[in-house]
Amino acid sequence: MHLAISLNIAAATGETVLDFSRISKFVRQAEAAGVDMIVSSDTADGPSSSPFEATTLLAALATVTDRIGLVASASTLAHQPYNLARRFASLDIISHGRIGWHATMAQDSREAANFSRPEGFSDTDFRRRAEEYIGIVRGLWQGWDADALLFDKTGGRFHDPEKMHLLDHKGEFFSVRGPLNVARSPQDTPVLVLSGLSEPDLDIAARNADVILLESGSAESAKIRFDDLRRRATAAGRDPDAMRVLTNISFAPDDTRAATADRLESQFRTRSCDGFNIQVRCSMLDEFTDLVLPVLRQRGLVREGYRGTTLRSHLGLAGGGDR
Amino acid sequence: MTAQMKLGAFLWATGHHIAAWRHPKAHVTAGVDIDHYVQLARAAEAAKFDMIFCEDAAGLREANIGIASQTSRSIGFEPISLLSALAVQTSRIGLVSTASTSYNEPYGLARTFLSLDHLSSGRAGWNLVTSASPIEAANFGSTGLKPHADRYERAREFAEVVTGLWHGKASGHDGQSFSVRDPLDLPRSPQGAPVMVQAGASDVGRDLAARTADVVFTAAQTFDEAKAFYDDLKGRMAAYGREPDDIKIMPGVSPVVAETEAEARDKHEELQELIPDDVGVALLSSYLSISDLWRYPIDGPLPELPESEGMKSRQALVVEQSRRDGLSIRQLARHFAGARGHWRIVGTAAQVADELQARFEGGAADGFNVMPSYFPGELDAFATLVVPELRRRGLFRKDYEGRTLRDHLGLKRPV
Repeated sequence: MHLAISLNIAAATGETVLDFSRISKFVRQAEAAGVDMIVSSDTADGPSSSPFEATTLLAALATVTDRIGLVASASTLAHQPYNLARRFASLDIISHGRIGWHATMAQDSREAANFSRPEGFSDTDFRRRAEEYIGIVRGLWQGWDADALLFDKTGGRFHDPEKMHLLDHKGEFFSVRGPLNVARSPQDTPVLVLSGLSEPDLDIAARNADVILLESGSAESAKIRFDDLRRRATAAGRDPDAMRVLTNISFAPDDTRAATADRLESQFRTRSCDGFNIQVRCSMLDEFTDLVLPVLRQRGLVREGYRGTTLRSHLGLAGGGDR
Repeated sequence: MTAQMKLGAFLWATGHHIAAWRHPKAHVTAGVDIDHYVQLARAAEAAKFDMIFCEDAAGLREANIGIASQTSRSIGFEPISLLSALAVQTSRIGLVSTASTSYNEPYGLARTFLSLDHLSSGRAGWNLVTSASPIEAANFGSTGLKPHADRYERAREFAEVVTGLWHGKASGHDGQSFSVRDPLDLPRSPQGAPVMVQAGASDVGRDLAARTADVVFTAAQTFDEAKAFYDDLKGRMAAYGREPDDIKIMPGVSPVVAETEAEARDKHEELQELIPDDVGVALLSSYLSISDLWRYPIDGPLPELPESEGMKSRQALVVEQSRRDGLSIRQLARHFAGARGHWRIVGTAAQVADELQARFEGGAADGFNVMPSYFPGELDAFATLVVPELRRRGLFRKDYEGRTLRDHLGLKRPV
């Protein structure tokens, strides 16, 4: 099974503010435990106690970790698609191919109000705009072929112009010529993570996402949603194994390790997901990594350590670079 | 103690010389190598530079793809992610990045730079630009570049919102270009507010700087130009209730330095010879905002030019240089390509220090933004040859006096 750890950078009420050393300790601990990736939130529902914005935090974390995937939330309301594509492409090079972009399909009215869109978008406009936005970002990430850079000093050829591609996108909400001014990702493209899906978003997710995060529900409803997403991916002409569906699950300290492991195992074995996005308080990570993970490993459910170096490779997705 | 000059290390691609990447000692994969940037930042920090400075454009530098492919400037790190990585790999040096007011929103930009400021414990700065390139405009749905005055009106409102957010002023802004409801959801900056840098040298650019900037980065070839700019800008500040010392003016300088003058000249000539004519002419064309410069004889003079909506002040500077020195297009292109219209000094450490000292003590600069011609060699040469010479003359610090970028620059902490 695939495992992500959710990193809520806004400390919960009563906890001390998370400084960089505490956050990096948390992420290194998750790395030592061999989890696929951490998923950093950006804004909190209420006033945040975090001093950091997620993409800048990720750049810093990339320099103090080696293997773990690093995913940051970034809103389609807060950035222009060209700028967001650039930021994440650059993060991916800084991290040597370990980056994911987490986009939510749920509109945040607080962001609309602070980003000169006080009226926001209607749900259908927001949805169409988000899919167009995602298409632009993914297109920009593919603007340079993997072998485009020649670095030929004597011949005077820095790159091969034939291997750089304009996007020339003209759509309902955006027009973007491209290309990106950041090189190709070491893992082909950063990983696209989608969440906040309502019913009409499911096809968009099945067409585009590398990873889908779903809220936890009953085992039966999870199984139905998982099968439904895979069916939709197939209908869209995709291999359903080219995406990973993770269920959000909160880990409470009073759960016994056996009970937690049983719960994860049963959901995984009934094929209701590909793995889990574990929501755990900073101070409780030990209990998960030291007590629950070893049980899952004993049962052969979680791989030992990392096999590759990129996030795509951890997730077993195509384009991993070193799979 | 006598006043000391401020120094920025301007990091750009493989170097500021257009042909830098072809130099045998240049690190050609700089644009995809984070370890290279960590080493540069640490080298600049070891030399006690006030800050490293990154420029930015949201698009290619050159519309002609064939020309672009002969330079190293089409790919590189996005600077905010780059500086965020460097923030935790350094401990004292300031970290300044360029970002555009045309293609960002003030709430997001204020939040991002404040986050960089927290990651670096108070060492961040923002260089405000309005973006004059139609190549960038095409990546943001614009059908054409906005007129110069409109860009600056947007920039003025943008800067007002950003500083308001950083200073934690009462929230709620509903203006011509932007609306912002809430205060930032991040704690106050460790240095009061990130440092505000500006580079526009036009009349409206100078007014905006006089009103809001902490540091002004400028291009000036001669002492007289530098002095005129310095006096003009400092003179505008009183109207906004500010002291002249509240802004540090730091012209760009592109030194080529070696143990002897002959070695320095050889080093410079070696770089100049690596510039292909079509690349030099294309670069000059783009700064002059004219597309058909290649039609004119390359060994003839620069033709008469119309005033453009692009970089007005830069254009005037280039044209004046050409007329003054009686340069051909090829000569001007080569001359310009090396330092992009900035001031170049070729010589020994003592000669470079003499020139810097003359401008600093003559009231034409508070410091300099050093633009090494290629990396890492020319940054190292400045650090090991020129910096010790400046120290011997008491003109540059031996160690950092404080912790934050405002401390280094001697800037007031905003209340």
